[in-house]
Amino acid sequence: MPHELEHLEAACQDEELTETLRRVSAEVMETMFFSEAVPVDCEHDWLAGAASVRVDFDGSHSGQMWLALSREAIPAIAGAFLGLDPDEAAAEQRSQVILELGNILCGAILSSLWPESQLQLDPPALTAWECTSEGVWHVCLALEEGLLAISIRLSGVKQTC
Amino acid sequence: MAYSVLVVDDSPVMRSFIRRVMCLSGFELGQCWEACNGEEALAQLKEHTVDVILTDINMPKMNGEEFLKRLEQEGTLRSVPKLVISTDATKNRILRMLSLGADGYMTKPFSPESLREELERILGARNASRT
Repeated sequence: MPHELEHLEAACQDEELTETLRRVSAEVMETMFFSEAVPVDCEHDWLAGAASVRVDFDGSHSGQMWLALSREAIPAIAGAFLGLDPDEAAAEQRSQVILELGNILCGAILSSLWPESQLQLDPPALTAWECTSEGVWHVCLALEEGLLAISIRLSGVKQTC
Repeated sequence: MAYSVLVVDDSPVMRSFIRRVMCLSGFELGQCWEACNGEEALAQLKEHTVDVILTDINMPKMNGEEFLKRLEQEGTLRSVPKLVISTDATKNRILRMLSLGADGYMTKPFSPESLREELERILGARNASRT
């Protein structure tokens, strides 16, 4: 295949994957966290103060997913998931909801990207946002309150028979 | 008729969510027991009779696969309907869990309505096979 066509094909595939990332994330937020999630342009000043989760995955595909939730989004998301008023959820419950959000998003996105895959997800971990933009599919979404950023880095694909 | 349910998941907020969604959906929920892994679930099942089991897959101590295998080996528990709830929507995983004895498989995200419909389907199928 000519070099230019290879580049074009890769760019189309990246756009398709990013669109899947947007669609599945919005579906998860609406269905299980009762919040609308709309794609927005990336402005990442808020990431330094955000709550961040990392999920490593392995199997036919390996890599990492990072999720960041801006501080103002946390009470609303935790409250919606638990059926409580935003201020009612305890700090421990908020942390558990953020981890569950990372788990659900990672599983739903990866299954949607690669439905024939065999994947094993590590337990999500609260961590500092450390994902650089290199080799990453990324979306930023505006929630009813606050912002959500998701990045996926694929580090390997194993050939299966 | 209100159904007694056992929810097995290592995340306390997920167990709470499932319980709430069953109520919101209009599912006729009676007693709702909880366990954080397969081992604890087996202990709960020695103490309580349940109409349906909802279980996660990735859990410490005894995961969902091992839990289903153990249920298949237990005479009385084998016939209890089992619904797997997981983030993993890959075909291989779904087929694997169904082959181990699961009666249904729901992937997250799911709506209250879809959970109720799936519960009613597996409970209806099991009740129909008893008559």
